[in-house]
Amino acid sequence: MNEKLKNNPVMKVLLGNSRLIVLLIMVVVFTVLTSGKFFTYKNLINILYAVSLYGIMITGAAFAVLVGGIDRTVSGNAALSGAVVAMTILTRGVGGGNVALAIFLGLGCGALSGLIHGLILSRFNIPAFLLTLATNEVLYGIVQFVTGNQLIYIRECALMDYIGQVRWLGIPIPVYIMIACVIFSYIVLNHTVYGRQIYSVGGNRISSELSGVPARRDILIAYIISGFMGALAGFVLSSMNQQASSTQAKNYENDVLAAIVVGGVSMRGGSGTIQGAILGAFLIGVIGNGMTLIGVDAIYHNMIKGLIIIAAISIDMASVPGSPLNNFLRKFKKKKA
Amino acid sequence: MSENKELLFEMKNIEKIFSHVHALDHVNFDVRKGEVHALLGENGAGKSTLIKILTGVYTKDGGQIYMDGKEIEINSREDAANAGIAVIFQELSLIPTLSVYQNILLGKEISKFGFISDSAEKKQIQDLIDHYGFPVKATDIVETLSVAQKQMVEILKALATDAKLIIMDEPTASLSSRESELLFKIINQLRDKGVSIIYISHRLEEVFNLSDRITILRDGKNAGVIEKEDIVPSEVVKMMIGKEVSESTASRTLKTSDAETVLEVKHLTHLGYYDDVSFEVKKGEVLVLTGLVGSGRTEVVRTIYGADPYDSGQILFEGKPIKPTISKSVTNGFGLIPEDRRTQGFSPLLSVTKNVALTSYDKIAKSGFVKASDEDKLGEKAVELTDLRPANPKVKVGDLSGGNQQKAVLGKWLTRDLKVILIDEPTVGIDIGAKDEIYNIIEGLASQGVAVLMVSSDIAEVLRVAHRILVMREGRVIKEFNDGVATQEDILLASSGYVENQEEA
Repeated sequence: MNEKLKNNPVMKVLLGNSRLIVLLIMVVVFTVLTSGKFFTYKNLINILYAVSLYGIMITGAAFAVLVGGIDRTVSGNAALSGAVVAMTILTRGVGGGNVALAIFLGLGCGALSGLIHGLILSRFNIPAFLLTLATNEVLYGIVQFVTGNQLIYIRECALMDYIGQVRWLGIPIPVYIMIACVIFSYIVLNHTVYGRQIYSVGGNRISSELSGVPARRDILIAYIISGFMGALAGFVLSSMNQQASSTQAKNYENDVLAAIVVGGVSMRGGSGTIQGAILGAFLIGVIGNGMTLIGVDAIYHNMIKGLIIIAAISIDMASVPGSPLNNFLRKFKKKKA
Repeated sequence: MSENKELLFEMKNIEKIFSHVHALDHVNFDVRKGEVHALLGENGAGKSTLIKILTGVYTKDGGQIYMDGKEIEINSREDAANAGIAVIFQELSLIPTLSVYQNILLGKEISKFGFISDSAEKKQIQDLIDHYGFPVKATDIVETLSVAQKQMVEILKALATDAKLIIMDEPTASLSSRESELLFKIINQLRDKGVSIIYISHRLEEVFNLSDRITILRDGKNAGVIEKEDIVPSEVVKMMIGKEVSESTASRTLKTSDAETVLEVKHLTHLGYYDDVSFEVKKGEVLVLTGLVGSGRTEVVRTIYGADPYDSGQILFEGKPIKPTISKSVTNGFGLIPEDRRTQGFSPLLSVTKNVALTSYDKIAKSGFVKASDEDKLGEKAVELTDLRPANPKVKVGDLSGGNQQKAVLGKWLTRDLKVILIDEPTVGIDIGAKDEIYNIIEGLASQGVAVLMVSSDIAEVLRVAHRILVMREGRVIKEFNDGVATQEDILLASSGYVENQEEA
């Protein structure tokens, strides 16, 4: 490639982020395959709208992964938050104060759930995957209890209608909320002491502690952020649907974690970026949307998504020197050379 | 025991060359039937190379190996096992959730028509245990056993494959003294049953008590073979060190500083780790804690830093008693270079800059926000102060060589205003050139008035940097070298339990 092209700022960004290139290629491929149907304003907004929910969750869940853990309760927190908001409004009415209280309680539930998980996971040597797998079930149980296992409709709540229906400059409000969350996470991870400590604790907790880093506190905060963002996504989801249900957001955590891995965040913690994780979400979103437009049968969607995740994990594993996959690739390269 | 002089195993003129360096130079070594034969030598004398050749990890570059009078070739671990040679690994290789007999017969299960015959297995192993009189049961689950018992299972595993020669490499390193006694009893029983044992240990006391013969290696050459009756501890140490070692590296003139005391420890005790440890470190002084691994040195240092608890005693910093926590220590101007840099020293995925800056955010951050340019300054300063190579603070620490990784860890603290630095085995696995640079850094810190408390097992290193030396053994300070000349021999004797100048029985 010639030097002039290499120094072009756009090229620089592209070369530094292979996922962006893959994403752009996907967009072109789907546009061609759908003879333009993919690349329409309406469809692109659809993708943005769908990805925004996952995006909000990712901006929280990425903290848990970066600090060396994992949080599968983002979906449970979302469901609980939606249910609490809906029930509060249902019982107290849609007055301004009541809506504020509802939101406070809903998001507070998420933060509280994160606090509890953080307290346990920062202190005890319990695998985060197993704990949050179990507690996510508990959370859905609580949601069933709160909603009485009924679909709760939220009617005439101005704020939630606004979030769910209104568009600014043709773009739905949830997308702006996602952008705000991404900016928040980006700043915290890249420009604060806490962000630096997250990467350090995720990379080597013992060495961080010996350097004076309060690792327990950092892990605790990571799960609180994750819980809060899950709850925020739940509130947004309830606003979009104008309802809360006991199965709201169920299994979203799989796509959230898939996007985080596909986005290049290491499942061992300590490495990866929030912009990468969001790109991962867009990749998964674009592929799902594109396959639907092409007319790929829905039964193949999960299969293809699974293959993409395997590819992402393989890249993650292969990047570790000394790992079997890394050794294998090295041998392979040597043979070729 | 010594009446049975028939040779079991013999190595003649063994040579091994690593990139033009003679790691083993015509070494001879033999073991009799039913003999405990100790292999002694300082680090780098060639002990482990020799053991690796006879277990098939390395192949020899010259010489012959005989088993029962027949010449054999050992080119792989299988060859060694077939010849009846077994190693008891330091890191035990047992499966904790399986029983003793299942572990011993792993891969060699007794089966009928493809089904494992449990009762036959149990009986066979219990018979084996009874034959040697080991205090374990065939049906015990391994994870419920003590470390010493696990070692016995390892030994049984070797015996089950009809091993005639068992190699034990520092078997007592992780045992308590009572457990060690038990192991010695087992070793004596094995000897009485005609099993031969090659015994490697830094603890001279136990070597002298156990061995029927000692072979000493020095710089890859034979330095002597001694029969049990002829053992004189100080002579053995001299043979290990060698007479031709120059005075400058074999000894050091020590001097107590009259500067003010920065750190003082009084009767510090952590039950089970160390007991009644007292010392003081002065401004600009390098105090070295030496002794064998497991003597409690690391734990003392970690306690002072606030990383480990203690039961009683006092820690004083600048004359005032303190109850250390890590964060308080860091604010007070303490720094720690931990024992194992890879697991405790740095985040491998992060750059030198980010690793170095980690200790200094209290100084450079404003209300929790960080400016990258401030971090970069610290990273560049660390590279400059430690002469880190490559001289690029953006490189991930995990990608650096061992010596430069350690420099990055040092950089974490050199960029702060230090009053006390605690350094634990700073040069393990580091090449000679980088070692010297690290010593220079330590000396530089001392000359700036930093109180240095260092842990080291490497006697050459101790003599290179120490102003004063404390020797620890089994959790206690057993000897202090304050003023006058300390020699390699003095320290080696003191660490291995021979304290001659001190009446303490």
